[in-house]
Amino acid sequence: MDNSLNTELEAETKVYKPSRATRLFTIWRKLKRSRLAVSGLGIVIFLSLIAVLAPIIAPDPNLMGVARLPPSVEHPFGTDSRGRNMLSLVIYGARVSLYVGFGSVALELLIGLGFGMIAGYFGGIIDEILMRITDVIMTLPELLLLILAVSIFEVKSIHYIILIMGVIGWPFVARVVRSEFLTLRERTYVEAAHSMGASSWRIIIHHILPNTLSTIVVIATMEIPWYIFYEASLTFLGFGDPSTASWGVLLELGADYIRAQWWMVTFPGLALFFTSLGFNLFGDGLRDALDVKQSVR
Amino acid sequence: MTLRNYVIRRILVVIPVFLLISMVIFFMVHAAPGDPTRILVGERSRVPPEVMEDFVKRLGLDQPVPVQYVLWLGRLLQGDLGYSFQNEKPVITIIGERVQLTLELMILAEIVSVIVAVVLGVIAAVKHYSIIDGLTSVVALIGYSLPNFWLGLMLILVFGVQLRLFPVGGTQTLGIPFPTPLHALGDHLRHLVLPISVLVLVWTAYLFRMVRTSMLDVLGQDYITTARAKGLRERVVIYKHALRNALLPVITYEGYSIGYLFAGAAVIEYIFTWSGLGQFIVEMTVLRDYPSVIAISVIIAIMVLLANLAADIAYAFADPRIRYD
Repeated sequence: MDNSLNTELEAETKVYKPSRATRLFTIWRKLKRSRLAVSGLGIVIFLSLIAVLAPIIAPDPNLMGVARLPPSVEHPFGTDSRGRNMLSLVIYGARVSLYVGFGSVALELLIGLGFGMIAGYFGGIIDEILMRITDVIMTLPELLLLILAVSIFEVKSIHYIILIMGVIGWPFVARVVRSEFLTLRERTYVEAAHSMGASSWRIIIHHILPNTLSTIVVIATMEIPWYIFYEASLTFLGFGDPSTASWGVLLELGADYIRAQWWMVTFPGLALFFTSLGFNLFGDGLRDALDVKQSVR
Repeated sequence: MTLRNYVIRRILVVIPVFLLISMVIFFMVHAAPGDPTRILVGERSRVPPEVMEDFVKRLGLDQPVPVQYVLWLGRLLQGDLGYSFQNEKPVITIIGERVQLTLELMILAEIVSVIVAVVLGVIAAVKHYSIIDGLTSVVALIGYSLPNFWLGLMLILVFGVQLRLFPVGGTQTLGIPFPTPLHALGDHLRHLVLPISVLVLVWTAYLFRMVRTSMLDVLGQDYITTARAKGLRERVVIYKHALRNALLPVITYEGYSIGYLFAGAAVIEYIFTWSGLGQFIVEMTVLRDYPSVIAISVIIAIMVLLANLAADIAYAFADPRIRYD
């Protein structure tokens, strides 16, 4: 008797609250409908695999042979000015770029979420102050602020570059999260949680935050290529970490040989383009599947 | 809030934000490792000690940093942007020499990309799910995913190095006399083609995505159905009813993205050795000529703040709802 009641109850709960797996499946079904989104996801997975498996699939990129060889069967992307295998370099570059992309976005989310949640939920003077801070940081274009910070503090390490990108990039996330919180905090379920005596933090973390996840995931996906671009641009302009073989470093080196050795600037850039295309395709598809109303940056 | 109050409030907000930005820029430079005086004079410039001493006294560089900030801000408000020892010129003079090239590049690219993006964006949205929509959207996504500096390099490689159609850098062919100013202009325009193409391709891709999304959004609203039900011609519905509203977010976006446009143009100027402000700020950062860097950063900040202000006010005029925010 008791048991049957329980199962009945469970059955009912299942109707109202689909399990996480079911929700993921629904998202996947929607995503699958778009061929472009699936190919985007494919690219992202492919890149991740390449980055992880680099030591297994590619020969050591630091091996030096004959310099400036054009693409051939042995060196499909040719060799660079120091005789290194460009294909190996590009494959190893994926590690740097993905590290930069994921690292900066993780940091940006951490700071942006914190500020956005507090500003949007508490409002008032706290909101006003936090939003003025985002105004200040957002006024100067990210790339210029990055160049300034990196050059002034004489940063030459990829880890510091990521740190600075996160510290400079969060206002955008904070803005979006804030506006989501502004709307969501007026919902009746928040009121209900309040009346049941839930603390502010409990409401923020357990009731509102989960409802902003779709937006956050979409933003994160679409921000990743930006940071990869920023690192590459920064490096190309001469403010990067010369000790890593990032695609930006390869492009900077290759640009000097543009007149005679076309492959040295072509392949690292193609990799950059391909990566960004993958994340953008996937992000677009995800946005439609999750039904997020978010304009491009 | 009335429109007037909103505008006044919005203008007043600019002042504290500007002060904060100027502080950030100023203190960031002063937090740099090394002797700040040396940094301000330029680490690589060879300035005689007595000139240095005079400079330090005159600018109050021997004072505590907050006092220095106030002095600097005072000079800034009087239009004194500082002196670049490495260029041996006041920064304002250098800006005057270079601003025209940057504006030329940015304004031309902006005009072309706005026209192309709006036209294609409207067509794609009106013919949603058609082949044209699919094709333009994919092309835009490709343009959106292209790193601008790499696109620049590729254009140099193909059109400059291989096909030899256009010059790969600079703003004018040096060392040859031009028979008429018209020839000189033609030569200048040929230098303009590649950098402009990069900016137009990338910016159009962005704007197109905005216009299309915004237009689709508007076309799905009830008042469009009403307009059609009234029997208005499709052209009137699209251009008079839909496009006007669809362009609102695009205008705001434009106002807000001016800083990004400048940064994008700076990278392109650097690649094409286009001697505008963008190339200048990159070079001066490399050379650590901080008077120039500070001055240009402040100018960019002012430019962005004014553009944001203009966008917000324009939006408030066009859409009364936002005043109650």
